[in-house]
Amino acid sequence: MQAIEVSHLIKKFGSLTALNDINFSVDEGETFGFLGPNGAGKTTTIRILTGISRPTSGTATIFGHDIEHDTIAARQSMGIVSENSNVYDDLTAWQNMIFSAELYHVGRNEREKKTTELLKIFGLYERCNDKVHGFSKGMKRRLTLAMGLVNSPRLLFLDEPTSGLDVQSNLIIRDVVTDLVREGVTVFLTTHNIEEANIMCDRVAIINKGNIAAIDAPESLKKTIQSVQSIEVSFDRSSADQLDELRRLPMVNDAQKAGDKFKLYTEDPSEVIDAVMAYAHTHNLKVMSITTLGPSLEDVFIRLTGLQRKGGAVHAID
Amino acid sequence: MPSINHESWSKRLSRELSAAWAIARKDMRIYYLKPNIIVSGILFPLFMFLAFAIGKNAPPGTLIPGLISITLLFSASSIEPVSIPIERRVKTFDRLLSAPISLYSLVSGESLSGFLYSLGIACLPLAIGIVVFSTPIVNAPVLVVAMILTAFCFATLGTLFAAYPTENVGEVMSMLNTVRLPLIFISGVFIPISTMPEIGQEIALISPLTYGNDMIEYAYTGRSLFSPLLDIVVQVVFILVFQITANYLYKKFNE
Repeated sequence: MQAIEVSHLIKKFGSLTALNDINFSVDEGETFGFLGPNGAGKTTTIRILTGISRPTSGTATIFGHDIEHDTIAARQSMGIVSENSNVYDDLTAWQNMIFSAELYHVGRNEREKKTTELLKIFGLYERCNDKVHGFSKGMKRRLTLAMGLVNSPRLLFLDEPTSGLDVQSNLIIRDVVTDLVREGVTVFLTTHNIEEANIMCDRVAIINKGNIAAIDAPESLKKTIQSVQSIEVSFDRSSADQLDELRRLPMVNDAQKAGDKFKLYTEDPSEVIDAVMAYAHTHNLKVMSITTLGPSLEDVFIRLTGLQRKGGAVHAID
Repeated sequence: MPSINHESWSKRLSRELSAAWAIARKDMRIYYLKPNIIVSGILFPLFMFLAFAIGKNAPPGTLIPGLISITLLFSASSIEPVSIPIERRVKTFDRLLSAPISLYSLVSGESLSGFLYSLGIACLPLAIGIVVFSTPIVNAPVLVVAMILTAFCFATLGTLFAAYPTENVGEVMSMLNTVRLPLIFISGVFIPISTMPEIGQEIALISPLTYGNDMIEYAYTGRSLFSPLLDIVVQVVFILVFQITANYLYKKFNE
């Protein structure tokens, strides 16, 4: 059975079309990444899939339950971890967990057992009787995830799970998600961290301006833009003009500086390597390292969403 | 996994009620002692009452029914207009909207917290009437029913206004006060309806507070404008209208 089945989903806000006839499905047990720039339609899609918003037309089902007409049954099998750590600051961690369990109709004995278990997994048990307003950002994020798991969901919506977190929280969350995937839980992940999606997802969908631009496994998507390859090179010395000089080398389409390295985009890596070596020789530079890189998922994302690289950062064209 | 569709209605109802109760308990823990709730739910009606009562020559004990009425009006309708915009702002309201519960349970749970808060607060003037002024209660059961219905009616009114999709508490409170404040003047709390001009008497008929206050007056004095039965029926109608409208608006504003 499909965990999620989206068919001809359209959502309009007045004259604005937020989702334009999108279709996709997520298999049970799959980790599915949903990527897109801000305003692309990610949040609208999640709000429809979780039954908060209604589509203008089209259908979405969760394990066969239509989210619009069989909302409660569809929601019963899902856990939702929203982008904001939406916990109750004036309640303790324990009270937050119990409240979440009550909303999801978890039985009294089970809810206390599950709460204890999850608070221990997320390293919050020692603080379970403390009000949440004293928690750090990472602790609140871990509590949000714990609350999303209190009903043992078959499908977990994870919205930016590790955005801006400390290393400890990041590691705990990734470990827990890995364990959930191993146990067969379906994960629907939205993230701005494209590398996270690359590592964690079986498939990713890239949404842009309300349209699905591509859906495939990360490696398959990378193959579609083999023309975007790059050379990463570092020299023993750097100067202010180096980036512009490298950008002017033959066959280099674009160049970026990242730390002590330069990334040169090209369709012909071997030609650029020769040019880089010649440049180093001419300027009496020593090449410390040089690596040929294939296209990254970020490159795919940028290509499909029409964003532009500028000074190492990514900017929307519009 | 068994489908919820195949559940018995009694089990489904029990789940919905326990979820509504969980929402009400959450509100009690978080909001009952918030300063803006205390100001608008307790201090505001008290000062309003004092402002009007001081100029009257009536014995203080006779003012107790009016004090109970406006306490019920203000305290019952003060919780949700504060809690829901705050929860929208911190996104915890999305947690309620995406839970496997019906919108009716959500709305009822929210109203329940205002209802219980109001009943608790209204016991204060009741106790003052009994202990300090020895104000006699002619019909206690009618008083209990009147307090319950009035509290629930205005709790649902508060939930209805909180449906307005804003994260700003002040915005909801301003809209609510444009309705609440006129109600105390046209519902027979300070000025008996029979002494009002004809137009005032007609407007009084569309105020839910008229019927709650009428019942409370009956419970204390044995005199009323309408029969208690009619007061009960009209208040139940108001509760249903507020509840159904609130449900519709929460659904509409989240589309």
